Amino acid sequence: MTPAPENLLHRPLTTPKCTLGCPLLDRCLAGGFPCNSITELFAESGCGKTQLCLQLALSAQLPVSLGGLSGSSLYIHTEFPFPSRRLHQLSHAFRSTYPAIFKTDPCDSIFVHAVHSADQLLDILPKMESFLSDPKTHLPVKLIVIDSIAALFRSEFENSPVELKRRSSLFFKISGKLKLLAKRFGLAVVVTNQVVDLIVPEGINGMRIGNLACLYSSGRRVCPALGLAWANCVNSRLFLSRNEEVEKEEKGLVDVDANRVCTRTRRRLHVVFAPHLPEGSCELVITREGVFGVE
Amino acid sequence: MEVGRLPISASQRGKLISAGYTTLSSLSSLSPSVLAREVNVSDTEAAQILKVASHGSRLDGSEGGCATINGAQTAWDMLHEEEMFPRITTSCVDLDNILGGGINCKEVTEIGGVPGIGKTQLGIQLAVNVQIPVDYGGLGGKAIYIEGSFMVERALQIAEACIEDMSESDGLLRKDFKACQLKMHPNNILENLFYFRVCSYTEQIALTNYLEKFISEHKDVKIVIVDSVTFHFRQDFDDMALRTRLLSGMALKLMKLAKVFSLAVVLLNQVTNKYTEGSFQLTLALGDSWSHSCTNRVILYWNGNERYAYIDKSPSLRSASAPYSVTSKGIRNSASNCKRIKMM
Repeated sequence: MTPAPENLLHRPLTTPKCTLGCPLLDRCLAGGFPCNSITELFAESGCGKTQLCLQLALSAQLPVSLGGLSGSSLYIHTEFPFPSRRLHQLSHAFRSTYPAIFKTDPCDSIFVHAVHSADQLLDILPKMESFLSDPKTHLPVKLIVIDSIAALFRSEFENSPVELKRRSSLFFKISGKLKLLAKRFGLAVVVTNQVVDLIVPEGINGMRIGNLACLYSSGRRVCPALGLAWANCVNSRLFLSRNEEVEKEEKGLVDVDANRVCTRTRRRLHVVFAPHLPEGSCELVITREGVFGVE
Repeated sequence: MEVGRLPISASQRGKLISAGYTTLSSLSSLSPSVLAREVNVSDTEAAQILKVASHGSRLDGSEGGCATINGAQTAWDMLHEEEMFPRITTSCVDLDNILGGGINCKEVTEIGGVPGIGKTQLGIQLAVNVQIPVDYGGLGGKAIYIEGSFMVERALQIAEACIEDMSESDGLLRKDFKACQLKMHPNNILENLFYFRVCSYTEQIALTNYLEKFISEHKDVKIVIVDSVTFHFRQDFDDMALRTRLLSGMALKLMKLAKVFSLAVVLLNQVTNKYTEGSFQLTLALGDSWSHSCTNRVILYWNGNERYAYIDKSPSLRSASAPYSVTSKGIRNSASNCKRIKMM
């Protein structure tokens, strides 16, 4: 079969994207998570990665006119247990926001699968392909979430050069197959990652990757896990940070006790690198109804 | 054989004979530029005449002692040819300066850097800039873009900014030249961008083999960008020797494409950590043997908060680094006040 160039004008002139369900967050990402590419979302544990992913799995079911993909999602989780109670809570809130669209339970369109090791993930990828091409659901699968990729790799490999090389080649295999699926079925692939502390000082050729010179979360300097090889496997990278900030004194109130300090947790979503986004960030909060951006 | 028997036009024949070239052997050791000068025809006409002449003398079977090897050129002609081909601008003046004017046609340039430094942005910018019409100092050619994190809307954004810049200079310089007014639309730029997507290394190699046929059918392609050339090869190869063979085969094909069709080949590469002498060093991916496959190598890196490009390997360019920035319009000059080109 001779290769043929794709006609760029036949496709839509913007890549289809999956909304996050919040216009402020969507604005930071120019519409949402793009299809046909792998987006990585990394953060410390407890920052809200899973929350965002669950919300994404729900908003993927929205029609394209509202920014969704009109599709169901495949949610591969590697950390246990799967937060099904939270998912039901969120889907309840979603249903009440869009009563006309969600006639059936949105959770019916989210397919959850547990994976325990990197080799197992490689094994199920061909099975995923057959699942994607023959969906028994009424909505085709348009979103794949892997939460989290780091958990698959962080315990199995020793720290020797040979093992690390084997680990990197697994990264490329997995992301190569995911990109193939993304292209063939027009899916958005979202992968979450953990962080590790960063100790190395920066030089001219330092390990800076992306728009932010330093990534801070909970007051520590961090960087995404899995290293440089994995960074080359993803198309876009987003960072969720959490920091404690000291609240300013409210006007009119005099604090006699000078030792009392009011702190507030502030969460931000940053664009670390993306081929279609300028650098930017957006503050967000996590409520009962989901994750929402704030001005 | 006589010049009079060559299948060329009567006026050309007349010019040759009056300049003193009556036999084929007198033409056999000439180059097109010399002949053009002597006989007062254009370069292309002279090349055509010589081609016909060499064909004729081959048929004759008599080459004579003063024949040169087919395809050999004098260095003077090569210089003349090189100067004829404009370079492809990167839209950043500093970057163009260290590259000697821009990306060179007929050569393979490798551009590598960490993720997020702007490799894809530079690739898209070049794919758009190659289409700048000749009137505006460009090549008016088409582009082939293979794989990568290609986002159509970003290419559209860069194309719009490029057209805007051209109309601006139009307004500044040619107020009375209504005839040369720019009629380009961003959609035209997308039409002239041939986008191929590959999903495995076998597809990548098959595509590289197919490119020769494709480009001979689309002669106005002037740049081939592969983004990234490394991704599909970094998976586990049981036989590393096979990988080296495949890579060198691919590199040879790309170099041949560049030379034969006079186009620029730009390969975008990733970086990796190389384990040497007990420590890890940042280096371009695919190993040492691959590093011989390109003519020029440019490395993009962060210096503080600025993006820099560094000429790592080039047969004709000096080692130097220059800052650039990635804006919503594409690759542009760095915005800092103290920008200067650092010579190494």
